[in-house]
Amino acid sequence: MPSASDTVTAPGAAPAPPGPAAGRPRLGRVLTIAAVVALAAAVLAFPGLAPNPYILSAGIVVLNYAVLSTSWNFVGGFTGYISLGHGALAGLGGYGTGLLVTKAGLPSLAALVLAMLLVALIAVPIGFAALRVRGASFVIVSIALVLIMLLVFQSWASVTGGSRGLVVPRPFPDLLRPEHHRVFYYLYAGLLALALGVWWLIDRSRFGLGLKAIREDEDKAEALGTPTFAYKLVVFVVSAAFTALSGGLYALWFGDLDPVFQFSILTGSYMVLMALLGGVRNLFGPLVGALVVGTALEFFKGSFGNTPLHLVATGVLLGLVVMFMPDGVLPALRNLFARFDRTRQSSIREVSAAELRDQRLQSTGGKA
Amino acid sequence: MTASLETTDLRKAFGGVTALDGATVRFRHGQVNALIGPNGSGKTTFFNCVTGMIRPDSGRTTYRGADITRKAPHAIARAGIGRTFQLCRVFPRMTALDNVLAAVRPGGVLGGLRGARSRAQTDRAREWLTRLGIEHLTDVEARNMSWGQQKLLELAGVLMADPETVLLDEPAGGVNPALLDRIGTLVRELNAEGRTFVIVEHNMDLVMSISDHIVVFDRGRPIAEGPPSMIRTDERVLGAYLGV
Repeated sequence: MPSASDTVTAPGAAPAPPGPAAGRPRLGRVLTIAAVVALAAAVLAFPGLAPNPYILSAGIVVLNYAVLSTSWNFVGGFTGYISLGHGALAGLGGYGTGLLVTKAGLPSLAALVLAMLLVALIAVPIGFAALRVRGASFVIVSIALVLIMLLVFQSWASVTGGSRGLVVPRPFPDLLRPEHHRVFYYLYAGLLALALGVWWLIDRSRFGLGLKAIREDEDKAEALGTPTFAYKLVVFVVSAAFTALSGGLYALWFGDLDPVFQFSILTGSYMVLMALLGGVRNLFGPLVGALVVGTALEFFKGSFGNTPLHLVATGVLLGLVVMFMPDGVLPALRNLFARFDRTRQSSIREVSAAELRDQRLQSTGGKA
Repeated sequence: MTASLETTDLRKAFGGVTALDGATVRFRHGQVNALIGPNGSGKTTFFNCVTGMIRPDSGRTTYRGADITRKAPHAIARAGIGRTFQLCRVFPRMTALDNVLAAVRPGGVLGGLRGARSRAQTDRAREWLTRLGIEHLTDVEARNMSWGQQKLLELAGVLMADPETVLLDEPAGGVNPALLDRIGTLVRELNAEGRTFVIVEHNMDLVMSISDHIVVFDRGRPIAEGPPSMIRTDERVLGAYLGV
């Protein structure tokens, strides 16, 4: 006679079907693939559809946000460490590329790659110091990084140009401005695809599962045998490398760097907000967040000129999402579609130990 | 009798509170060892020091002859010591399957990039879930499980790492009598397969029925040790535990 306390919850009366795809509704998968294809087509077709170079350049700014926030998500999404300092890494990538072109006379592409490697190298000691502390302390350390870099690059004017700025020569001087935009648009799209590909690779790997274990419960992950500090450091360096590439590409495209904008708290905040808005546990979360927030920012900037109103409007948008979709836009959409999917049994009903025993007898052919 | 896990004069104080006061303990290899004692006698602190979660003020820990005192928790885990936590810890927003798979050692840098859900590892993970009787929850997120189910899941994860020695911190805490039986049987079975156990537990029925060797703690150090029959009648134990 099973007692009431013997009950266990089971997803429906039938045993869970085998196979790794069992937990995912089929309709959802089809919709996901369709959405990804549509998104990729839209991104690739955008330059042909943009009515003027200004809109095209706004597209580049949005893609830049998408790459930055996807890069941020290597740390934020996998490990749950919220870094507000990634703006500094983008700034270092930008200034690194710019200085290597102007002072060392390197070709643009070589400067970009070398700057990425240098930032990755610098990220090792930064991560070594910052990743020792968790939660709010980590956030504060990461903010400090931005402020320190701002002071250094403003004061060290003999090298960085200080507040007068640093002019970076264009990599393709023969191109007209609309063509220049078009080339950089596709460069950014390629970089975005690369970042998404690497994130996807890590997401499904053992390394990725270890990182997610850190996000869930770091001490528990460590007790299970995961070298948590090494994991965090490696993924921080990967994240820094992509962030630096995005910053470097920006320097080559925009051609003018100013410490106030390169080392701004706002850059890091945007990365965090976009990723949270789209959903940090999702490959495309930061991209979706960047499309929404980036487009809104550019639109509001165009509508309200240089008043701070665009920040207010963005703030309202974020408030709404946080209130109604706390996990981000993508999980909210997935739940919405799951509601219409009849193949998925969503009720978790109590079954008694006796029922469970019967199920097991059935599934093992009476051997148990 | 060979020793597997040994501590020599472990000391740890939190501010003015002495949690471990010169604990010298020797657990036996291939046996079910129990660690009992009143609340606040230092049992969990002892576990935390042994597994590297807390650094002891002084003293040393050896495992199968090798010094592990200053090692990081993951290195101690990889040396073959698995543990559960007093307040059962699982990864709440992961499915049961991923919870267990998270214990797989990647095997080098390239191994880390291999798929987490490889056929071989998934099969092994399902075997552990089945053995612990929670295979019907394979795709359920841990946060949606009951307390007892989470305890079983935590144990499945620890066992997935294939530890030679398993430290259980209050496996009977908050579980119903039927589940308690199952845990007791499981410990004996796993012990018969060659795993050493060290169990912190307050449920005396469980302790007396499954352990080969019992160490009694009071005020941060062992006051008695021996087989269950001896401990049951030891006056120092009765004094410390029951206050008589």
